[in-house]
Amino acid sequence: MGVVEGAIIYANLLVLLAIGLTLTYITTAVPNFAQGSFAIFGSYVALTFLRLFKIHPYVSVPITFIFGGLLGLLTYIVALRPLIRREASIVTLMIATLAWDLILLGTIGAYSDYIARLTRKPGAKFIFTHLDYDIAGISAIFIVSSLVIALTLVGLFLLLYKTKFGVAIRASMENPALAEIMGVNVEYTRMFSWFLSGALAGMAGCLLPFKQEIVPATGALIIVSIFAASIVGGLSSIYGALLGGYVVGLSESLITFWLSTIFGTGVLVYSKVISLIILIITLLVAPRGLVGINWRKVRRWVSSTH
Amino acid sequence: MGLEHTLINIAIWFGLYLIVAISLNLEYGYGGIPNFGRALAVIMGAIAVGGIVNRILMIIFGISGNIISGSSSAKAIVNDLIAQNPAFGIGLLIFTLLLSGIIGVIVGAVFILPSAKLESDYLAITLLAISEVVFMVSYYNPDLIGGYYGVPTPDVLAFVPGESRDLVFAGVILIVALLVYIFAERLLNTPYGRLLKAMRENENVVKAYGRDIMKIRIKTVAVGSGIAAMAGALYSLYSVNVIATAFNRVEWTFYPFLMVLLGGLGNNRGVALGVLTFVTIRILLITYKYEITHALHLPFEAVWLEYILFGILMLLILFYKPEGLIKEKPIMTKPIKKAMTKRS
Repeated sequence: MGVVEGAIIYANLLVLLAIGLTLTYITTAVPNFAQGSFAIFGSYVALTFLRLFKIHPYVSVPITFIFGGLLGLLTYIVALRPLIRREASIVTLMIATLAWDLILLGTIGAYSDYIARLTRKPGAKFIFTHLDYDIAGISAIFIVSSLVIALTLVGLFLLLYKTKFGVAIRASMENPALAEIMGVNVEYTRMFSWFLSGALAGMAGCLLPFKQEIVPATGALIIVSIFAASIVGGLSSIYGALLGGYVVGLSESLITFWLSTIFGTGVLVYSKVISLIILIITLLVAPRGLVGINWRKVRRWVSSTH
Repeated sequence: MGLEHTLINIAIWFGLYLIVAISLNLEYGYGGIPNFGRALAVIMGAIAVGGIVNRILMIIFGISGNIISGSSSAKAIVNDLIAQNPAFGIGLLIFTLLLSGIIGVIVGAVFILPSAKLESDYLAITLLAISEVVFMVSYYNPDLIGGYYGVPTPDVLAFVPGESRDLVFAGVILIVALLVYIFAERLLNTPYGRLLKAMRENENVVKAYGRDIMKIRIKTVAVGSGIAAMAGALYSLYSVNVIATAFNRVEWTFYPFLMVLLGGLGNNRGVALGVLTFVTIRILLITYKYEITHALHLPFEAVWLEYILFGILMLLILFYKPEGLIKEKPIMTKPIKKAMTKRS
């Protein structure tokens, strides 16, 4: 797998996760710290179907979509809705998602022990790369992940812009109170966004083991990149998530690789530090993200300094 | 032996977590600053011990080489010295605590600067991100505190016979925790403490009274981080070994939040009760993990059970008891007392 090819695969998966995070942030106004564990949940669903029913992970992408979606829905109904009804503060909601993340980590870890016993193969650490193959000289994961992204984007576009439900979703994203007065059931749109967020994360998780090794705690590591991607794009815009996912995903792999050619391979372990630094700089310089930058103002400022 | 050991363990962790929880209560409970990067200050304490004190000792005793092997040579020499001369050990302990406190104060003051531009969720994410960067660097870079190998640290209680070391160390930790508790109580029972609560409730009112919010925040997080760093230093000295993985965000950010919320925000007595409850449950879970796994026929390791239980506990607190075990009481200043007695 070439460096650029690997970087694009990783960025594709990151985009899926960032879109999910952004969707729930827009509808529910809470940054979901459990998004990374959603993905790892998807990875373990794929592993289960592979080990028990010999279903190839590429075939189980739709299955992980549904399982992930149900997990997202459960998260909202169990962990968040009771608190939102009581008008809890954002910080309280964030702590609730952190707690939920810990529950997921524990459950996934326990399950990894269980499946290891059941199948007599290691469960706490696994990878799918040996299942991958080449199609016309290109690795299948590259094609599959790009296809999943394309289908997701087309699906999202059709849903949001061509259906009545999409109009309702967009209305409740823009102004929930007004949408509610106009007869939109904001509750449904929220539940739907959590389902979709979990579903996208589930698919990303299904494909992630083709790129890197999965352990139960991998979620805590990738959440860093997911936040970076969403925030660099602008937390309240789906286009932003798309843009931010590629910016962070590509720079995490490519900048680290470029640095490793200068400073040696020791730098490679710091890839997450790069996305964290990008995240911190974005928050300090342009907290609204790339989408929120007023480019006309920037241009005027640039031309005035010349 | 078993029970005694468990009790000492509870005492040690009660002391360590009380220090961290009080520091978080100061920032979040009183000041309303969502410090999701509490672990950063604690790891600074570990760096003060493993990265700085060790290097100072290496220079004093003329040991060359990298931090990992140099530390173990320094440890051997220093332990012998302390065994003969207890005053040296106690001096080293006090020096380390002061040093970690100072580093914590400086790092905390710089760490909170992003709050000038960010608030609530964005601020929390930034603080968490900064804390994670430092965690990752100290884990991956072996030159700081030994990375994934870790570094040995001198035993400041080398003069105490081995079998009673844990007991004496528990005493040391509890004394520091008590001092921190008294300090926090006195600090917060002043106009400054009331100013913090006012900031938590409504920043604009505080601004309208001519106070600089940023200055208050910097002061608060600096003090809080200084305190939390001491817990990191104490823990490193106790375990005579520093390794970055011991300072992850579940144990030093999430659990402190859990303890503060469990006990009761903005009230140190409640927080102490919360810490005691949490630590007792956790140590019992860890001590009897094999028995629990067997008794319940769990097909997995008990550590996962710990995560699930504490996650659920946190959600239950948020749902059913957001004010905690002991509710925050109104502050009884003299004018308020006078007004209360007049009315009754």
